[in-house]
Amino acid sequence: MATVHLQADHRRFTGGEKTLRVDGGTVGELITELERRYPGLGPLLTDGASVAIDGELIPDGIFEKVDASTEVYFVAPISGG
Amino acid sequence: MPRTHALRTQVQCTVNGDEVDFLCADETSLLNALRDELGLTGVKEGCGTGDCGACTILVDGKVNCACLMFAPEAEGSSILTVEGIAQGDELHPLQQTFLEGAALQCGVCTPGFLVAAKALLDENSDPTETEIRYALAGNLCRCTGYDKIIRAVQEAAVQLNGASK
Amino acid sequence: MTVTENPRTYKYVGTRPVRHDGLDKVTGKARFAADLDMTGQLRAALVRSPHAHARIVSIDASKAEAMPGVKAVVTGADFADLDPTHPEFDMAVNLMARGEALYNGHVVAAVAAVTAAQAAAAAAAVEVDYEPLPAVLTIDEAIAKGAPIANTTNRTLFSGDAEPSNLASVNEFGRGDIEAGFEAADIIIEREFRTAAVHQGYIEPHACVADCGQDGKAVIWASSQGHFAVRSKTAAALGWSTDRIKVIPAEIGGGFGGKTTIYLEPVAVLLSQKAARPVKLVMSREEVLRATGPAPATKITAKIGATNDGEITTLQSTMYFDNGSTKGFSALTGAMSVASYKLPNLELHAIGTVTNTARSAAYRAPSAPQAAFAVETLIDELAQRLGVDPIDLRLQNAVVEGDATAMGMPHPKIGFVETLEAIKNSDHYNSPVPEGAGRGVATGFWFNIGEQSSATVNLNEDGTATVVTGSPDIGGSRASMALMAAEELGLAVDRITPIVADTESVGFTDITEGSRATFATGMAVVNACRELIEELKQRAATIKSADVERVEWVDGAAVIEGEDRLTIPEITAMAKNTGGPLTATASLNAAGAGPSFAVHVADVAVDEETGETTILRYTAAQDAGTAIHPSYVEGQIQGGSVQGIGWALNEEYIYDSNGVMENAGFLDYRMPVASDLPMIDAIIVEVPNPSHPYGVRGVGETGIVPPIPTLANAIAAATGVRMTSLPMSPPRLLAAITGGADG
Ligand code: FES
Ligand code: FES
Repeated sequence: MATVHLQADHRRFTGGEKTLRVDGGTVGELITELERRYPGLGPLLTDGASVAIDGELIPDGIFEKVDASTEVYFVAPISGG
Repeated sequence: MPRTHALRTQVQCTVNGDEVDFLCADETSLLNALRDELGLTGVKEGCGTGDCGACTILVDGKVNCACLMFAPEAEGSSILTVEGIAQGDELHPLQQTFLEGAALQCGVCTPGFLVAAKALLDENSDPTETEIRYALAGNLCRCTGYDKIIRAVQEAAVQLNGASK
Repeated sequence: MTVTENPRTYKYVGTRPVRHDGLDKVTGKARFAADLDMTGQLRAALVRSPHAHARIVSIDASKAEAMPGVKAVVTGADFADLDPTHPEFDMAVNLMARGEALYNGHVVAAVAAVTAAQAAAAAAAVEVDYEPLPAVLTIDEAIAKGAPIANTTNRTLFSGDAEPSNLASVNEFGRGDIEAGFEAADIIIEREFRTAAVHQGYIEPHACVADCGQDGKAVIWASSQGHFAVRSKTAAALGWSTDRIKVIPAEIGGGFGGKTTIYLEPVAVLLSQKAARPVKLVMSREEVLRATGPAPATKITAKIGATNDGEITTLQSTMYFDNGSTKGFSALTGAMSVASYKLPNLELHAIGTVTNTARSAAYRAPSAPQAAFAVETLIDELAQRLGVDPIDLRLQNAVVEGDATAMGMPHPKIGFVETLEAIKNSDHYNSPVPEGAGRGVATGFWFNIGEQSSATVNLNEDGTATVVTGSPDIGGSRASMALMAAEELGLAVDRITPIVADTESVGFTDITEGSRATFATGMAVVNACRELIEELKQRAATIKSADVERVEWVDGAAVIEGEDRLTIPEITAMAKNTGGPLTATASLNAAGAGPSFAVHVADVAVDEETGETTILRYTAAQDAGTAIHPSYVEGQIQGGSVQGIGWALNEEYIYDSNGVMENAGFLDYRMPVASDLPMIDAIIVEVPNPSHPYGVRGVGETGIVPPIPTLANAIAAATGVRMTSLPMSPPRLLAAITGGADG
């Protein structure tokens, strides 16, 4: 279980919800649960987003552990020049 | 069997102190001849149109863009490229100050700058910053913002003047 | 100059040794890709579309094939047929057209021949029958109702739409309540900004040599920002497995983001395979400008609100970034880079368009400079309207650790306030503005990224070391790797040889982008060194029959029970007696890349008769976390600043009505030269990044973000004219001054 923050882009799937409590022990499990609740949202979170956990940007972090106090942000993928 | 290309011209000249000769088509640029026939790949091509200075060489002591000359025009001349700037294993003061002053990042423009800066210092041993900037205005560097290049040339001038006093 | 909060002092980190590859680069020995020649090598030339948009009806290469010296011709039909949903589809289509030419200069065929002249002649003889299609050339044309479709394979990302569209991506994010934010504001300013496409402008054109053997394996010598990416992209374009491709990195003559993608390698490999000989393919400068690179053109509207006390209450912006012919570089990072101020109410729309122009590529802090132009101009106007110092206004609203980024997540430890103060306290800012001149300030920000890196550290028999990484050195990173290894091992920098190894000689490493080499690859080097030190302690314990628990590593030597010392050469000399060679490897996917902030100040004079801007003085401060090699940090700051200055004042892609770039050469695409500029004073600020062993933040990108608004603000101060479109070249500035209108 963790707190998940979504971008405006994602909210069309959640009926406008921005912040959700979601079951799961890893980021990947959170995504699976979100996809179950809001079909169509999952691909945006796996292909189209990076994750920030407690303020630290984690590339490709689907196996990162989360717990009840974790704040997870799904942010857009960042690449550089 | 009919020939499909013209016979090539022989060119004789001095490059970095050595007498050399090579064959080339009349329309071959001196840049391509230096790189492909003589293996002097320190002379770079950034544009091929005389606008970047990466191919800067000295022909009889004068700054030239090798990409704007036809190779046969080099007949009888004396050419200096970056490969000929150091005296044996002793670097030219410009090479030393470029290294110590971090005046290169990717280094692809560096040969052209060194040759152009050497030509400047050969002619004007104590240039002002503005004179250096104008003397090097034909050379593009996209990495450094020129700051450290200008400083390295200033420092080399100081060293050369110190050595000659 | 350095302003440091760094509590630690180091022996090697922070010094300025001569870089290891320097000698080769000042003597002309360094080999860039175009400098390499293989035995029996052919030269290749590309056939490019003269149309901005056309259906390729047929390609007849029979005449070309019959010409002297010609050994192979390839077209789109020879390449893997990728599904449009494949992540490398757009890259692959960009390097060889399939069915449609999508922009003027799009490659439609390639020829290999014995000489370059023969290849060029044969390329001109390839007969392509085109059926011209309506072309879309600008953002406005792309989004117009009923616009023709620029690229029928494009679907808007994540939209679920099955229909082709001229929109590559549409994103929205933000927080708070925009309406309430504007209601709470006493001052509201809104403007529209436009910027033209610009090129990265690396001096070395793209080049490669490929040699495909009869075993079906290829070796590629390439100039790129990441040879592992060259391998994977080439494999994708050809439909090959990666083990068939080995990429050997040549020296790279500048990239700035433009060499994070590829254009040539798969073409050269196929030609080499067909001809059974090595093939060298080198672009001309004209090709580089017409068909690689550009950073997106933009159209940005931004609206900001603040109270009379200077508190920014809200920001709303819609940003269009033109991706070019296929999805290229997105709008998203531009919008995300609006993260420097506490913005309780924020609404950002980022829209990428597709047009029949060259596919855009990343360019140093991609998309952030255009966004900063808009936002930092509005902040400057706010300061002006409020009658407060522009740095004080920024200090009042500056983000600190824990404040939200544009995407909501909190900032980690950052040095924005420290960097603002460094400029506020600088000699430049405290000197009077020269008579008749104007002074401008602006700020910029870049996230930086981590990603995957590998490093191997080998200790040689005599106690010297080799540091092997897979990050191409685009501006002195080998020296940084050696410095970090020196600090860890306690070994002098000149006893360490840093090398960049090929794809078969070191573990996978992502491209050098996002200012990640010193951060992430450096971290891999540090981890490998630490592992090596544990092993060295173990060996020392064996030699001295001591308990390893009693061995410490101090200053390049194992100290046993506080007295007996064994140096690295003493231990390596006995390596064979104590368990064999000393080597360690580390790999990681680095998290926690620290954002880097920059603040610039410029004094400019504008000639009101010609519209020409002269920069009288320029100072750039930037947070480097910890500067590993300060000279190269300064160099990154200065180089980024000057690229931004060129973007601000002169550089632009000019297209004619048929989508042909009119200024595809360095004479007309005018980049800054030495005589255009003053010295660029670099101030290194050090607020260490807690996620890196030495506190490193990437420094490569941020420097290009502030110059555009810095100069626009300085020009406004000098002339009273707010320029809202780029470049602020003499004719445009003159028109704005005399017309009194906004640029
Ligand atoms: S290559 Fe000769 S000036 Fe650019
Ligand atoms: S150092 Fe790269 S172009 Fe000058």
